Amino acid sequence: MSFWRLDTLFLTFLVLLTFIVSPMLGPANETVAPPFCKPLWLDPASGRPLSLNAKDNILSFTWESKPPKAFSVKGTVSFEEVPKDAALLLVSPKKTYKLMDLAGLKNLDVDIDSRDVPLKLHLGLNPFVEVSSVIFSEKGTYSLYVRSDVKAHVNLNINIYTGKWGIFGTDQRGRDVFRLFVQGIKISLLVGIFATLIASTIGMGLGLIAGYLGGLTDSSIMRTVDVLLAIPTLPILVVISGVWGRGLWQIVLVLSIFSWMGTARVVRSLTLSLREAPYVEGLRALGAPAGYILVRHFIPEALPLLLAQTVLGVPGAILAEAGLSFLGLSDPLMPSWGRMLHEAQVFGAFTGGAWWLIFPPGLGIASLCLAFISIGRRFEEMADPRLKEMTGR
Amino acid sequence: MNNYWLKRLLSSLLVIAVVLSLNFFLFRLMPGDPTSSLLDPRFSPEAKHELLKSYGLDKPLSQQFFIYVKQMLTFKFGISFMSQRPVWQELAERLPNTLLLLFPALLLSAVLGILLGVAAAKGRGGLVEKTVLLSGAISFSFPSFFVQLVLLLLLAHAFPIFPLRGSLSVPPPVGFWNLVTDKIWHMTLPVASLVLLGFGSWALYVRNLMVKALGEDFILLARAKGIRESRILWRHAFRTALPPIVTIFFLSLPGVISGAVITETVFSLHGIGKFLLDAVLGHDYPAAGAAFYLMSLVTVACNLLADVVYTFVDPRISFRRLR
Repeated sequence: MSFWRLDTLFLTFLVLLTFIVSPMLGPANETVAPPFCKPLWLDPASGRPLSLNAKDNILSFTWESKPPKAFSVKGTVSFEEVPKDAALLLVSPKKTYKLMDLAGLKNLDVDIDSRDVPLKLHLGLNPFVEVSSVIFSEKGTYSLYVRSDVKAHVNLNINIYTGKWGIFGTDQRGRDVFRLFVQGIKISLLVGIFATLIASTIGMGLGLIAGYLGGLTDSSIMRTVDVLLAIPTLPILVVISGVWGRGLWQIVLVLSIFSWMGTARVVRSLTLSLREAPYVEGLRALGAPAGYILVRHFIPEALPLLLAQTVLGVPGAILAEAGLSFLGLSDPLMPSWGRMLHEAQVFGAFTGGAWWLIFPPGLGIASLCLAFISIGRRFEEMADPRLKEMTGR
Repeated sequence: MNNYWLKRLLSSLLVIAVVLSLNFFLFRLMPGDPTSSLLDPRFSPEAKHELLKSYGLDKPLSQQFFIYVKQMLTFKFGISFMSQRPVWQELAERLPNTLLLLFPALLLSAVLGILLGVAAAKGRGGLVEKTVLLSGAISFSFPSFFVQLVLLLLLAHAFPIFPLRGSLSVPPPVGFWNLVTDKIWHMTLPVASLVLLGFGSWALYVRNLMVKALGEDFILLARAKGIRESRILWRHAFRTALPPIVTIFFLSLPGVISGAVITETVFSLHGIGKFLLDAVLGHDYPAAGAAFYLMSLVTVACNLLADVVYTFVDPRISFRRLR
């Protein structure tokens, strides 16, 4: 059986994405564009977003598509002397717009956004009209121009937002959804793997103790298992994470406390059957110490099944974390897939039909779970080759 | 009463005791005062004491615990911090909506799953079996809220057939039949989404049971006797698969109740699950505790019921018990 199959390749791809691509992308919580931008590959009629830097007095560029959603001009202008007459102009093919009066000051910070009402009033427009749709209504050559009677040093950035951004668009806060998506892989993998690892360790330890010692220890551990299994999982998780806190490790701990019971049962029954197995009895008769039997016989026998149990437990933890985050019970500063869906639902992705906020995290969760299920099945088949025949593979 | 039932009852009581103490200590041992969300810091100490007294929070912890247990066992849930109404009233108002969501969903997905599972077991390797295996895999790996969000996006936004939110129109329509149709209109999408998510695992489970049952020797005997194939399928094979199916039906109820929290949040339904979430998020401890207690009670009751019904469906068990 080869190790490199679709599921492992997919997981490796995701891990590479987190460790190599994620640091190159910049902080996920940064606002990069207006809210609810579409992905770049959608809607070819509107142009690509434009970001230009002007070091000279005049910056020319062409605009060949339909009017953008917004634009902004930010930066500094400094004059060698105090100018008597100076202005920041935006020249369109038909008309010249005076964006800002620069006269009377030597050093200026420019911060113009086309959505500002003072700018609209300054240009003599209705406050409810979007400036960019007026200025960029023509196709052709535009220029940003500082007109002054003294020499000026210009460092301006003009950003034109077309309502499109990045691979997956932007969310309600103008964050890049692709960055959030990549960040979400890390959270899901961390929570899924660590929660199941801790749960498996607890389950294995307690199952082993219960099966090996028997008696009162066994029955008290098994009663605890019964009780924990009878408590409705999601409500108790909601209550505990609501009361206890919303950090990543709190969620990991809470999830592992409520998911070790299955492993404990399996390990206990394995221990019981192995304890009574004739060859173990023979070993004991030959004087093998308990540690030897455990390490050389029990662990090799039980390991594939335990591995399968552990791997098959990961999707449950991932789904539970996503569910808690979706309910708003996670750290708002920690972007995870569940959190993305929560924000999509709360901040009205529906009224805007913003499906690009829903599909990346949702399909991400589903494909990650499918990959783990597929790997777990393979471990299971390794542990018990009879399963292969049953599923007909 | 024999030993077995005594044991089951005792363990159910143990679960309730654990839930009650969890409820009590979780909400009291947390950082901060349980009433800090209710009390204004500008309150005078006397007024604060008065308010704490009205909630019974001035007594020692052990005494509070006994009062609490007594109140919970008699279903006196106190007054909600948020709405200042009795919690019991709020729960009673929401319970019908939750039942209206969960009961049809569970029933429909079980029936659909059983039919598909039996069909898949009958025609091994056929299209039905492939569909069942696929839908089972999907129901284990797709987050429920994602599927529901996509359904909402499709059927309430892109093609506005169903409402985006709520369990009743605002203002509610006049007249009994208008009210009923409005209710059905609002509940269709949530129920359908739960059925869509639920039937896969049912079908998979029933299919596995039936494949096993159909491989038994008595089926071969029945075939040899020339009994009709449909009769073999339902009266012989399905009959042996019935006890575990019934158990799973009742054992799946807790999971379904858990699912109500998410479903009611997605569709903004006025139910118990959403109530629990809102109470937890709003630090409304009496309400959150009561909702969680109620859900746990239902779970425990379902587990007990599963055992009782099992003895009815599996004649071997009840026979032994009667003797």
